[in-house]
Amino acid sequence: MKLSKVFIYLLFLSVFAVSDVAAEGLFGAHEFYLKNGMRVIVAPNHRIPIIKHMVWYKTGSASENVGKGGIAHLLEHLMFRGTKKVTGNKINRYFEENGMESNAFTGHDMTAYHQLADISKLELAMFLEADRMQNLQIKEDDFLREREIVFEERKQRIDNNPIARFAEVLNRTLWQEHPYGRPVTGTDKEIISLTKEDAETFYNNFYAPNNAILILAGDIDVETAKILANKYYGNIERKEVPQIYQSELKSGFKANINIKDNEIETLRLVKVYVAPSFSKNNKDVYPLQILAKYMGGGKTSKLYKKLVVRDKKALSVAVNYNPIAQSYGSFQISLIPVDGIDGEELISAFEKAWQEALNELNTDEVENVKQKMLAGLVYLKDNPEDAAYVIGAMATAGVSLEEIESQEQKLKQIRKQQVAEAAKRLINDAPQVWGILYPAEVKK
Amino acid sequence: MSRYYRSRRQSGKIKILILSLLLVVGVGLGIKYYKPGDIVRKVSDESIVKSKPLNLPIKEIEAPKSKIKAYWFNDNTNPIISISFIFKNAGYAGEDLKKQGISKLVAALLVEGAGDFTADELKEELEMRAITIAFNSGKDDFEGELLTTKDNLDKAVYFLRLMLTEPKFEIDGVKRVKLQMLEALKRQKEQPANELRLIFAQELYGNHPYARNPLGKKEDIENISVGDLKSFVNNSFSKSNLVIGIAGDISESEARTLIDDVFGRLPDTGKINFVRKADIKFDGRLRRVERDSSQNIWLAALPSVDRKHADFYPLFVANYVWGGAGLTSKLSQNIRENEGLTYGIYSYQLLDDKAPLLMVSFSATKDNFDKAKKIWESETRKFNKNGISDKELQKAKDYLISSYNLRFASIVNIAKILSSMQKYNLGLDFLQKRNEYISNISIKEVNNVIKKYINPQNTVEAEIGKF
Repeated sequence: MKLSKVFIYLLFLSVFAVSDVAAEGLFGAHEFYLKNGMRVIVAPNHRIPIIKHMVWYKTGSASENVGKGGIAHLLEHLMFRGTKKVTGNKINRYFEENGMESNAFTGHDMTAYHQLADISKLELAMFLEADRMQNLQIKEDDFLREREIVFEERKQRIDNNPIARFAEVLNRTLWQEHPYGRPVTGTDKEIISLTKEDAETFYNNFYAPNNAILILAGDIDVETAKILANKYYGNIERKEVPQIYQSELKSGFKANINIKDNEIETLRLVKVYVAPSFSKNNKDVYPLQILAKYMGGGKTSKLYKKLVVRDKKALSVAVNYNPIAQSYGSFQISLIPVDGIDGEELISAFEKAWQEALNELNTDEVENVKQKMLAGLVYLKDNPEDAAYVIGAMATAGVSLEEIESQEQKLKQIRKQQVAEAAKRLINDAPQVWGILYPAEVKK
Repeated sequence: MSRYYRSRRQSGKIKILILSLLLVVGVGLGIKYYKPGDIVRKVSDESIVKSKPLNLPIKEIEAPKSKIKAYWFNDNTNPIISISFIFKNAGYAGEDLKKQGISKLVAALLVEGAGDFTADELKEELEMRAITIAFNSGKDDFEGELLTTKDNLDKAVYFLRLMLTEPKFEIDGVKRVKLQMLEALKRQKEQPANELRLIFAQELYGNHPYARNPLGKKEDIENISVGDLKSFVNNSFSKSNLVIGIAGDISESEARTLIDDVFGRLPDTGKINFVRKADIKFDGRLRRVERDSSQNIWLAALPSVDRKHADFYPLFVANYVWGGAGLTSKLSQNIRENEGLTYGIYSYQLLDDKAPLLMVSFSATKDNFDKAKKIWESETRKFNKNGISDKELQKAKDYLISSYNLRFASIVNIAKILSSMQKYNLGLDFLQKRNEYISNISIKEVNNVIKKYINPQNTVEAEIGKF
């Protein structure tokens, strides 16, 4: 997903409000709600007669009960295994015979299903998606096969990748009891213990139009979108969706973890902070985006110039901030040292460079970074798939369309002082973990 | 080092043939009597959004001074422009024997200072204007890409020209990028999938340069001098091995001038090492690598044909049915969907100039791995013997034709399609004709190529894991 290009926020959704935002913003998108509470966002782009059709459920692995890890993801797979009307895995055949590219993904806060299609196939995509929103029928043998497949998926994507294993340990340490500390795939033991009934319960609880957002990006106008959204999704009954309690994290938690891994050849360092998001302490969301870009966004950033170019202690440095979440966001710094520089030496060089960069923060620097962030926003209007992913992810995290569309203006308003204060709050108060991943033995 | 584009999709046609599924009429009203297929047809029949013709007019243009030619596509929807260009045969397989890694080094260093601009200045100039310029070297070719807004086009053109003709290769930058590449080399085998790929290339290509490590060789990288880098640029970038695609908000006359401005100063010809065709014996050999990993991974190569070969389109369709079609392919259906043995099994055509191949791979935990391999073999043997049915052919055609326009979603992609159409000599009217090529394929042609190429005994294979 291309979420790094994204920013924004607003705390309160006015559910059921009809607010057609004028087509002036970043995407020129419009939104409306169906009577059953389903939110619909349309981003017209008429260059090519194609459309990205996405349904985002505002529920992912963070809503799983303890011990049932992986059920949101397994259910995502089972959504391709048949309904009362479209049985077996025929849905894949219909997608393919009609030239659609179809897939789905699950995160902590969301599960999304999507197709890229010729505009003439849109109604078929909507029909099939609306059907599986209400009519899923899970067969025992399909369930068992699909459980085996997600187990293999975990082995392939996590267990056979030392960096992914490291990230899992880091997250578990940082987030502790918070659901973001649990892997989206579930653990081996959890996956094996999941039952068909678990999947059905999860489906019945959370798959409802009022818990979903429909995104249509491409060659369509708002009037047609209204007709079709009502036709296919408008009659699905709303449900009471359980509210999931997400634990609060206490400030002040700090930890260091060192992981040895047989498969690792070179040292890696990562610092992760629990950070504000569009949903939590959102006043720092824009300042932290600027901070991340200023510190470690690319080869003109302060940390790159200091640690890589000047000090020659790091080979690479990257700072990533993700504010798009229903709970907290995260702020992450990744470093690879020059051969021969050990973890401690790089950490102290990093801390010195970070402090210098903070001292050098002034209005000119902030304006310069803002210019870099804003200069490329027009590219987001090019590919309807980009628009669909960005709008969908943000809307699912609770961001209003008005805010999604006006991120340029929001960023422009941020001043140096706000960036400095947000940085201070992050460094001093946020739960944080230093992780060092190193080879199990020094080779050669 | 991140890899940039190498699209596996074939470039192709654009005008939409309104084919496919509006076939069946006469379904009654009572939905409960429908079979699923009927409902799907009914939805399609009654759809109020209809197919629209898509015509992307491509023109061949010529620069007024240098006479360099390019494909050009004008689109004013957004004020952005993308250029894709390829220096043919300047990829890593053609590097001098003792300079392995030089093309990747150059790709990384061209953006590290040019003309009077230091690395820092150049990157700052580009970032402030959101101009992206990137280079990469593949097995065969050295490729470049530019993306800019219309406002900044003049600057973008100027910087790209400097990078191609006056790269600085500052000592500090060269040292830094070398260290980054050496580090990338070191961590190349951290994931079993990557280790397998490297070993497989050696097994498959033997002493052909395709067997080389794409990142080069440690000693060579260490020894490459600034003089070497400069000669690589002088020898590899010339008008004679260049193709260019330009797409976006730019007029024909602007595009023609742009070609002169960026590429006009390149030498007429260069000096490029000849790379012979790879001679691969598909004798069913298997290279096994023991490694303590969570899953075993398997890779196989089968013979294939190049882009202009008469068997290309029939094989394109055959591959789709066999392992190319996501979850509905024969292999996927039998190994993943019906048995749950793997997260995925895929096949694809690899169109390298000197060794076109059909590739197939999957990974699975040990028990499932052995079962999946057996099914792979028996399914492929059946496929080889029986071929496909008329119905399967029709479905494959439906997909390949009606999904065709999806690849034109972005201006960057369109520019890449324009350059690769020229690389493969597909002709200016290719986008108009591609869907006809597909729809004209006969069942006999497909089943002939299946017999000829897709045989479980005619492979080279490698696997890694615990056995």
